[in-house]
Amino acid sequence: MTEPMDIQHIRNFSIIAHIDHGKSTLADRMLELTGTITRREAKDQILDTMDIERERGITIKASAVTMRYEHAGETYMLNLIDTPGHTDFSYEVSRALTACEGALLVVDASQGIQAQTLANAYLATGSGAEILAVINKVDLQAAQPDIVAEEIEHVLGIRKNECFRISAKTGLGVKDLLDAVCALLPPPADRSDEPTRALIFDSHYDDYRGVICYVRVFSGSLKVRQKIRLMGEASAYQITELGKFRPDMKPVDQLGTGEVGYVIANIRSLGDVRIGDTITDDARPAPDALQGYKPPLQMVFSDFYPGNNTEYPRLRAAFDKLALNDASFSFVPQNSPALGFGFRCGFLGLLHMEIIQERLERENDIDVVQTAPTVSYEILLHDGTVKKIDSPSELPDRSMIEEIREPFVRLEIITSTDTIGGIMKLAEARRCRLVKTDYLSTTRVMLEYRAPLAEIVYDFYDQIKGISHGYATMDYEFCGYEAGDLVKIDILVNHTPVEALSLVVHRSNAEARGRKLIIKLRRAIPRHQFEIPLQVAIGGKIIARETIKAYRKDVTAKLYGGDITRKMKVLKKQKEGKKRMKSVGSVQIPQEAFMSILDTSD
Amino acid sequence: MISPREEAAGLYVHVPFCRSKCRYCGFYSVPAAGWDTGRVVGAMLRELNQYAGAAFRTAYVGGGSPTALPAEQLIALTRRIREQFAGIEEFTVECNPGQVESGLLSELRRAGVNRVSFGAQSFHPAELELLGRRHGVEDIRRSVGLARQAGFDNIGLDLIFAIPGSTLGDWQYSMEAAIDLGVEHVSAYSLSFESGTMFDAWRREGRLHRMDEELDRAMYEWAVERLEAAGLVQYEISNFARPGYECVHNLGYWENRPFAGVGPGAASYWHGCRTANDADIERYVAAVEGGVEIPREVQPVTDDDAVCETAVLNLRMRSGIDLAQFRRRTGHDAMRVFAGPIQRYRDLGFIEVTDKAVWLTRQALPIADSILCDFAALE
Repeated sequence: MTEPMDIQHIRNFSIIAHIDHGKSTLADRMLELTGTITRREAKDQILDTMDIERERGITIKASAVTMRYEHAGETYMLNLIDTPGHTDFSYEVSRALTACEGALLVVDASQGIQAQTLANAYLATGSGAEILAVINKVDLQAAQPDIVAEEIEHVLGIRKNECFRISAKTGLGVKDLLDAVCALLPPPADRSDEPTRALIFDSHYDDYRGVICYVRVFSGSLKVRQKIRLMGEASAYQITELGKFRPDMKPVDQLGTGEVGYVIANIRSLGDVRIGDTITDDARPAPDALQGYKPPLQMVFSDFYPGNNTEYPRLRAAFDKLALNDASFSFVPQNSPALGFGFRCGFLGLLHMEIIQERLERENDIDVVQTAPTVSYEILLHDGTVKKIDSPSELPDRSMIEEIREPFVRLEIITSTDTIGGIMKLAEARRCRLVKTDYLSTTRVMLEYRAPLAEIVYDFYDQIKGISHGYATMDYEFCGYEAGDLVKIDILVNHTPVEALSLVVHRSNAEARGRKLIIKLRRAIPRHQFEIPLQVAIGGKIIARETIKAYRKDVTAKLYGGDITRKMKVLKKQKEGKKRMKSVGSVQIPQEAFMSILDTSD
Repeated sequence: MISPREEAAGLYVHVPFCRSKCRYCGFYSVPAAGWDTGRVVGAMLRELNQYAGAAFRTAYVGGGSPTALPAEQLIALTRRIREQFAGIEEFTVECNPGQVESGLLSELRRAGVNRVSFGAQSFHPAELELLGRRHGVEDIRRSVGLARQAGFDNIGLDLIFAIPGSTLGDWQYSMEAAIDLGVEHVSAYSLSFESGTMFDAWRREGRLHRMDEELDRAMYEWAVERLEAAGLVQYEISNFARPGYECVHNLGYWENRPFAGVGPGAASYWHGCRTANDADIERYVAAVEGGVEIPREVQPVTDDDAVCETAVLNLRMRSGIDLAQFRRRTGHDAMRVFAGPIQRYRDLGFIEVTDKAVWLTRQALPIADSILCDFAALE
C-alpha cells in the first residue's frame, strides 16, 4: 500500500464501547481477518498490551492502525483509530472520533446498554460520525441479543434489524461487519486541493526518535522533508519521517487527504505538541485550524498541597510530568493563607481526578493533602459583568453579587427497575430534576435528570452503586449554567477561616449542612494539645459551633533504659500520623477532614 | 560518639524472677519457683566480667524483683558488683516490701548498696489486691523502717495512680501515707495498660476501664503540687526527690548516657548501639556457660537517632535539654535541629527556652508524648 489510495476507498473509524464490552477483542479480530497480523501475533499483542496498559495507563498498541481489506472486488484502506487507554474519558473518545467518519458502537449482548454506551453514542452523533451498532458476545449463554437490539432501537433509534450480531472472541460476524464498514460508512471528503491540514489526535514520546504525532490528514497532504507549522504553537518543523501503523511503524513518502498515520519532525518534547492542534504547510498555511475538535472542558477542581512545604518543588515537577501526557489536566500555583503553597488543579471529572491522584501517589511518593473537589461557578455582578470562579474562596463580596450560577449536567442513570425508588429518592435529595424515565425493558430503566454538578461530584456514584447493589451505571454531560439561590458556608477552625473548607450550597439546606459539617470535622480532626473551636458562618454570621476537646493526658509514665527503642518507635509513628495533615495555624487538619465536608451522610 | 570510658556510665542488672506476676507489670520476669536461680545468678556474674574496666558511676539491680532471689544470692550478687566496680557512687536495689528482713537489708548495706527503692504502689489493701501485689500496707511501713534501721538514708517509694475504680481521695490517702514515711524519693506512675499483661487483657474484655483523662490528670497535678509542698521536687515526669537525692542512675537514661545491662532480657546502650539480651533464661544461661555470645537484639543508633533520642529523653526531665551538653553529646545544636517544634510549642506555652536550656513547662507534662513525638524524628 505504498501508492496513495483513492479517497473513495478509505474508511476511518473508531470502536467505542463500555469497559469490558469487547472493544480490544474486536480490534484484534479485525487485524487478524484483514491479515494485518496473524492470530498468534494477536494473542501475544493482547498480552503485551494489557501489561503495558496496566503499567502505564495508556494504549500503546495500534492507537491508529491501517488495514487493507478486499470488499466487492476492490481494495479498501481501513484506518481503525483506537480510543487511547481509559475509555471512560469522553474527551479522549471525542478526540478519536474527530478523526473518523464512522464509529462502531459495541454493546455486550449479556449486559445491554450502559450509561457509558449512551454517552459514547451521543459523542459520536455530535461529531457527525456514522454509527454502526454492534452486539457483541452473542455466543455467551447469558446473551440476550434480541432484548439488547430492542434497547438499541428504543434508546438510540438504530433499527434493531440493522444491529450487527457478532462474537469478537470466535470471529462470528466480524467479516460481515468489515464489509459493512466498507459499504455503509462514508469515505472522507475530498479536499486534496486545499492547503494542508492534519489533526494531531494523539502523540507519544520515543527515546530515540523524539515525539511521534498521530495524525489524520483532512486536506492537502503531508510529505517527507516538508516544512510544517503547528498552528496552535506557531512553531515550524521539518518532517523527517511519515508512516502508517501496520501495526508496526512503516515509513511512507506521503500521507494524502483522508489518511491516518504518524509524523516525526524533530519535536523534542511532548510539551511542544498540543493534542488537537492542526499541522499545516509552513509555506502555504491554511487560513484556519481544523474545527470540530472538542477542547477539554474542566468541570471539577481541587487543591493539592504538599504535606510538607519543602516538597512544593517536587509536587510541581510531578504535575509537570503528568500534564505532559494529559492535555486535559491543568494546574496553577495557589497560595492559601491557611494552607500555604499548593496548586489548584482542573479535571474533566471525578474519575479523571482519581486517576491523576493515584498516579501522583504511585509514581512520585509525595505526601499530598487534597481539598474536596468543587465545581466552577459563574457570578453575575451588579455591574453586569460575569466572573467565572473555580473555588468558593474566589467568591466576590456578597454586596457585589447579583446572582450565582452553578453548572448543570444531563445525568443518565441506567438501573434495574426494582432499585428505581432508592435512586430517585437520592437524586431528589441532591436537587436533581427528573427529565424522563425510559423503560429499556421490563427489568431495566433509564432515568434522565438535569442535575447540579456540585451535588454529584463527590459520593453520588458510590451511593447509586450501593443502592443498586453495583448494578447501576451513570454518566453525565455538561449542559449549561443555571442561577440558583446559593450561599457560601465558611468554616473557622480555631477562629481562622479555612477557605479550603468553604462550600457553596443551596440556601434551603445551608444551615443544616453547616451544622452537620462541623460535626464531621469534629470527628475528623484529631484532638490537639489545646481546645479547638469549630465555627460555621453563613454570610458572615456565625450560626453554629462545635469544640474539639484538648488532650488531657498523653504521656508515658515510665521510660527507662529498656523502653527507649520501643518508645521512640511509637513516638515516630505518632509523628508520622501528623504528616498527612496540613497545618492551619497551630491546628493539624488531616486529609479526611477536607473530604468529609462533602460527605452528606449522617 | 562518646565512648563509655570517657563519661559516667550506668550498670543495670536485671533479675528476671518474681514471687508472682503482678497484673499490670509489663517487665520481663518469671516466677522464681522451679528455677535454679543460683545458676542464673552465676551466669549473670560471668556476663558482668565482660565489662571489666568499665567506669560505672551507678549500679541498679532491678527486675522482676531482686528480693525474689534467696537472700544469700542477692547479697553475693551485690558484693561482686561492688568489688568489681569500685567507682560506683550510687548503688540501688529494688525491693518488694513483702520480701525484706532486717538481716537482708543490713547485708545489702554492708555490701555497698546505698539506695533502696520499694515497690509500694498503694496504701489501700483493695488496690494492692487488684494490682496483684502480694504485700500488705503494713509491709510498706515495716520495710521502710527496717531500711532506716539498716542505715539507708536514701529510700524511694513507687506509687501507682489512676488505678481503675480509685478516686482522687484514694490517691491522696496513699500519697499522704508515703509522705508521712519521710522517704527521700517518690516515683508516681500513672497506670498504663502494657500489652501482654493481665490488666490489658481485662481491659480488652471490658472488665477494666482506663481511667477518665480528666481524673487521671487531676491526680497527677495534685501529686506534683503536694510532693513539692512536702519538699520532694519534681525532676522528671514521674519522679520526685529531696534536692540531692535524685536517682543518678535513672538520670543517666534521660541524659542519654551509656549503660550496660546484665541479665536475661536486659537492655544496653553501649558504644553507640542499643542491644537487648535474649530474654529466654535457658538460652541466656546456656550461652554464657558455653562461653558463646549471648543472643542479642541489636538496634544500631544512627547520628540522627542519637539526636532525637537525646532530645526526647532530655525533655522528660524538668531541667530539659542542656544545650551545651546536647552539643557535646550529639555534635548538633538543638535549637537549630528542632527549631520548628521548639518555636511552635513555645508559642503554645508548652516549651520554655533560655540560652542554656530548653524545657517543657508544667502544663506540657501531662501531654508530653503529643509534644515529644515532634522531636522523635527530624523534620
